[in-house]
Amino acid sequence: MSPAGSWEALSAALHAGADSVYFGVEQLNMRAKSSNNFTVEDLPKIIALCAQHHAKSYITLNTIMYDHDLQLMKTIVDAAKSNGVPAVIASDHAVLMYAKKQGMEIHISTQTNITNIETIEFFSTYADVVVLSRELSLSQVSDIVKEIRRRNICGPSGKLIHVEIFAHGALCMAVSGKCYLSLHTHFSSANRGACIQNCRRDYIVTDKETGYEFEIDNEYIMSAKDLCTIGFLDKIIDAGVEVLKIEGRGRSADYVHTTTTCYKEAVLSITDGTYSEEKVQRWMTELSTVFNRGFWDGYYLGRTIGEWSTSDESLATKRKVYLGKGVNYFAKQKIGQFTIESNQMNVGDEIVVTGPTTGYVHAFVTELRVNDVPAQQALKGDSITIPLAEVIRPSDSIYKLVEVRTANTKPSE
Amino acid sequence: MIRIIHFREKCIGCNACVELAPDRWRMSKKDGKSVLLEGEENRGIYTAVVGDDEFKINHAAARTCPTNVIKVEKMVRKS
Repeated sequence: MSPAGSWEALSAALHAGADSVYFGVEQLNMRAKSSNNFTVEDLPKIIALCAQHHAKSYITLNTIMYDHDLQLMKTIVDAAKSNGVPAVIASDHAVLMYAKKQGMEIHISTQTNITNIETIEFFSTYADVVVLSRELSLSQVSDIVKEIRRRNICGPSGKLIHVEIFAHGALCMAVSGKCYLSLHTHFSSANRGACIQNCRRDYIVTDKETGYEFEIDNEYIMSAKDLCTIGFLDKIIDAGVEVLKIEGRGRSADYVHTTTTCYKEAVLSITDGTYSEEKVQRWMTELSTVFNRGFWDGYYLGRTIGEWSTSDESLATKRKVYLGKGVNYFAKQKIGQFTIESNQMNVGDEIVVTGPTTGYVHAFVTELRVNDVPAQQALKGDSITIPLAEVIRPSDSIYKLVEVRTANTKPSE
Repeated sequence: MIRIIHFREKCIGCNACVELAPDRWRMSKKDGKSVLLEGEENRGIYTAVVGDDEFKINHAAARTCPTNVIKVEKMVRKS
């Protein structure tokens, strides 16, 4: 299940083969501030797009709810129901109650912090899928799945409860995201989707008596590294987990495409018995190219307590540099036309094209024509064409990928 | 006089402005976003011109708004 925080990300997820996507509508979701949220009017288009790719789509409706939110919440549930959205992801009891009344399938959000079998039994009156707390160990997850089967705990559909966990992406220092820091310092509530990420910064401690300041300079002590489970995904599947969720509705199309592709390949490899250490290495390298704060196993393997990020920036090994806009695609010749608006393009460059319909297209520049004349390099203002296997559109942007130099070697530009 | 401007579209309905300036702001039960009382709409942006006495609390509301969709400005008096 992949995150869709924008049309670009949605399209990238679907093209990368996501089995399902999740997205926010209006403001009642945990990325109300950081992602470009969809509206109720967008629902038919989203559903149609997902249907084309045989993917399911789920609405996140998982903030804390106030009285004044109830009508909007009901409007969203009704719209989800009438547009054929398969389920809503919820944590507040008001949402559970209303969605159940309307016959809308419910998934229990990780914000609910489910950590034991009886809580699952409790929620089974409402939900067919539960997202477990991110702080459980894999053996706890496995025990819960076994108990669901042993006790035959079924959801409203009459089928056994499905267990979903987070497989990849940002982890929060607070249990199941229930954090008050952002509200405390900036009146910006994390539980209303407006987290300003205090935990991702570095801090100085002051001795009040002497005024001496100590910089906590070895680590970003509250900033957890990003969860990455691709190296032990076989164990997660053995534990009986049925849905793997990728975090990142605030992330770009390239992140969504790369993470979805890697995890999809990994799951297929496990199914056909070709999952191997070499493949894991290759996926890890791929995953490192997009946004990350460094990787760790999260809490699933239960051996390392809290691995903290060493940087306030992404540790992605590649960076996107904006080149220009899409112009046209000549389908017969498989040629894409672009206008270069900034920087320069060279033959051999690794490029990506992203856009609301295109999603994410990755390619290398094998040949380049500037104003229809073969060239090695294109500069700002040039109209260029390059061979491209996939369709691009005027709504697309083109970027080149460049290796990110480490801090020590960064030139003072 | 002061002018309060509300860029309502990006409101996430956190209720902070209502807590701080309850006489000027109200939560809409229809769409869950806040409403600038006596505000006049123009292309989705609401504006209200009110007395100086309301500056302090509405300025606090503007500072507190997590999505920065409230602006409060003092109006220059014509001489």
